[in-house]
Amino acid sequence: MVNKGETLGIVGESGCGKSVTALSVLRLIPEPGRIVSGHIWFKDRDVASYSREELREYRGNDVSMIFQDPMTSLNPVLRVGFQIKEAMVAHERFDNKTADERVVPMLQKVRISDPKERAKNYPHQFSGGMRQRAMIAMGLSNEPDLLIADEPTTALDVTVQAQIIELLRDLNRDMGTAVVLITHNLAVVASLCTRVIVMYAGRIVESGPTRQIFNSPQHPYTWSLLQSIPRIDSTQHDKLLTIAGLPPDLSNPPPGCLFHPRCRFRVDRCSKEEPPLEEVGPEQAARCWVLMKNALAGAEPVR
Amino acid sequence: MATAPSTFEPGPDSFVATDTYEVGERMSAWEDTWRRLRRNKLALVGMAIIVILVITAIVSSFWTPYDVWRQSLGPTYQGPTGKHPFGLDDSGRDILSRLMGGAQVSMVVGVGTATLSSIIGIMLGLLAGFYRGWVDTLVSLLINVFYGLPDLLIVLLIVAVTQQRGLGNIILAISLTAWLGMARLVRGQTLSLREREFVEAARSVGTRDRWILVRHIFPNALGPIIVQATFVIPAAILFEAFLSYLGFGVKPPTPSWGAMASDGFRSLQYAPHIILIPAAALCITLMAFNFMGDGLRDALDPRMRR
Amino acid sequence: MSAQDSHVKQSPAYEMALVRVEDVVKHFPIGTGLFGGQAVRAVDGVSFEVRSGETLGLVGESGCGKSTLGRVIAQLQPATAGHVFFRDTDLVRLHGEKLRRMRQQMQMIFQDPYASLNPRMTVGDIIGEPLQNFGIARGKERERRINEVMRTCGLNPNFIRRYPHEFSGGQRQRIGIARALVLNPTFIVADEPISALDVSIQAQIVNLLEDLQDRFKLTYLFIAHDLSVVRHLSDRVAVMYLGKIVEIADSKEIYLNPLHPYTKALLSSIPIPDPDLEAQREPILLKGEIPSPVNPPTGCRFHTRCPIAQFPKCSEEEPPLEEKAAGHRAACHFAGQL
Repeated sequence: MVNKGETLGIVGESGCGKSVTALSVLRLIPEPGRIVSGHIWFKDRDVASYSREELREYRGNDVSMIFQDPMTSLNPVLRVGFQIKEAMVAHERFDNKTADERVVPMLQKVRISDPKERAKNYPHQFSGGMRQRAMIAMGLSNEPDLLIADEPTTALDVTVQAQIIELLRDLNRDMGTAVVLITHNLAVVASLCTRVIVMYAGRIVESGPTRQIFNSPQHPYTWSLLQSIPRIDSTQHDKLLTIAGLPPDLSNPPPGCLFHPRCRFRVDRCSKEEPPLEEVGPEQAARCWVLMKNALAGAEPVR
Repeated sequence: MATAPSTFEPGPDSFVATDTYEVGERMSAWEDTWRRLRRNKLALVGMAIIVILVITAIVSSFWTPYDVWRQSLGPTYQGPTGKHPFGLDDSGRDILSRLMGGAQVSMVVGVGTATLSSIIGIMLGLLAGFYRGWVDTLVSLLINVFYGLPDLLIVLLIVAVTQQRGLGNIILAISLTAWLGMARLVRGQTLSLREREFVEAARSVGTRDRWILVRHIFPNALGPIIVQATFVIPAAILFEAFLSYLGFGVKPPTPSWGAMASDGFRSLQYAPHIILIPAAALCITLMAFNFMGDGLRDALDPRMRR
Repeated sequence: MSAQDSHVKQSPAYEMALVRVEDVVKHFPIGTGLFGGQAVRAVDGVSFEVRSGETLGLVGESGCGKSTLGRVIAQLQPATAGHVFFRDTDLVRLHGEKLRRMRQQMQMIFQDPYASLNPRMTVGDIIGEPLQNFGIARGKERERRINEVMRTCGLNPNFIRRYPHEFSGGQRQRIGIARALVLNPTFIVADEPISALDVSIQAQIVNLLEDLQDRFKLTYLFIAHDLSVVRHLSDRVAVMYLGKIVEIADSKEIYLNPLHPYTKALLSSIPIPDPDLEAQREPILLKGEIPSPVNPPTGCRFHTRCPIAQFPKCSEEEPPLEEKAAGHRAACHFAGQL
């Protein structure tokens, strides 16, 4: 569930299903994938019930998406400005002339310097960061209610990443666009999002307000992940905690909780029954039989 | 399965995961290729035909229904009968026996040319691609010179100069025209492979140049090399048939499909089986090799990999 | 904890330089003819030393020349100019067999665990190749050493006859590490060894590298773009920008007291996995883009994006890399003023 105007982070490792989740929101699952069950509700309507025409309206108009590699999403032989205009004209929200006039302000909004000249450039004349901005401009040009950003900063350098995060934060604040940020980088989520969903092997294992999740994670996977990343601000040298083993092969998943083979805190029940996603605190839910508050009782948490 | 500690112990990695997903299914790259090749029906048919041809060629070296050179076994130009299923030719020789003998010639020429031209092409291609510089310039020049000369001219020159028409000579002659493609392919592969990180890694652990070529570059170019060699075989078979048809091939009593077709051409109107049978054998053989080559290419194509 | 103690290195050998890089330049000529004479100045006059037993972190953004520098030091690419001393030998002057012999002492770990292993060789052959190259161990003895190093790197020796594609990314990186380790080198250049791995796997490799350093008294040059990892692993850190080192200091010092404005901006850009802290931080956003290394800016290379640049000094005079505090060098006219 994404609320109007909020910033939600979906965190997980590669292959955990976070991108597929986002693609299903847009009903863009590639063949032979299928949404087997469940519903996606947008403004009280099930997306699955949309007609082809409604679906086209919905993609881009209501929801738009930006990807990790902006180069593959931009057509290399068309000018950037033209592509942004096309995105608007295609959805018939703006007529040709208005769309034309909106291109430069859009580029300005995503902080591309000298937008008038830059609109005439081709994608290869842009740097990686600028391409991602152009993609964001394109995504926002139809004033969608929801922007899904799939690993938007993974391919970028940290200084550029900081710029893009700031940009997303400001756009969210100024335009009220809800942002879903899909990433493997917990730190990026901490800096941008108000709510977090942690995914593991295709399941949501924990969700809740960002502060809750980072300060008191209840699922052992979330907890271990937080312990396993080095922090730039740490002053002493502690060994990193590792999560042993590998994510499961989803065509042959382990019985019970999908994380139990790698879990330090597992009990017998974990290998037999899969735990449900249950409320564990205010707005926080976790899929675990043990929960960190019980696991750590008696032992000092190591930081 | 180890029982998990219920409380966290902070020792470094005292914990071992019950890790059953450590290593995937065991399958080498070649097994993978074979699995994909097996799914290709045409390639399988091609391979079956090739197996039959090879067996025929081997059998013919010690047994044929009649001696391949024996004339006047019956009426000349006789059509297929129970005794001679493919009939007799213009000299009354058994066509089935000669077809089997011809299969041997074709196989030897095909495989021999593929081998010899591959050896030349691979060596020159590896050297040119790996050392670049003047070696590459020289090899590329050689390739371009040979490319500019008509194949037939080269072969006729060799045959004329050596004054011999033995199988070895034919193989040498055709190989001298067929190595170009292989050299180009291997040179290109080597140029791209030498920039790969595992080659850099091999150099960083002190591997000598010749071992980098033998262990790292050659095995990784082997797929395309095999495909290329597979396509050289039918080309060489066809070329030999063509030479024999023109009368520059193997010496006459030795049966060759090209020479047989040439003999049959004169009697095309009243004894068509004499030309049709070797021509059909040639067609089927060429198709079989091409099917297999295509199948191999698809099976080895890296773009089709996961 | 013992891991903590081992990181306090106070032996006299610690101060000794194992590798000394002097004015190394690496240019890649581009275009003949029309653009003749132009070159990508990937590394443009770099000097520093790696002390025996330490981990020197080399950080910078993509295109700053850090990987090229690593390859020049490991002699996988010839330097255009300058010297790389390993103990007292100038590696730049070594060729052929002599250089090959030197490789026993320094090894490299590569970024991409998929590209750096030959797909047609078994794990045993990959790890055993260095032994074979130097004729060190044969037959049973070789097998034993391969088994041993596999176990050391957390690989199951039963998989010795498997092929690389049967392993996951993290395990492949362990194979790459085992290959680098089997000759018992003293110096290892690690070029972004974890950036291609999943988050939960990265920590495994980081810990492995630390354990190996403790056990075998290794010296690392650790190249990365991820400053948090470098901060965690390194004793000292060098920051590169556009082919030059702009700052080099003890890792604690550089994080607590960065002197160069680029280092400071870089540090402030790294998000911290703590929402409360993040709410208070304000990254220093750099303007513009990294200039092209074909035609770098005059004077200080950072002046086009620097928030404290003063003209014309910064655009005309190139600041030298000088000692601003004990063991803390920075190349900036106005060091510490941001």
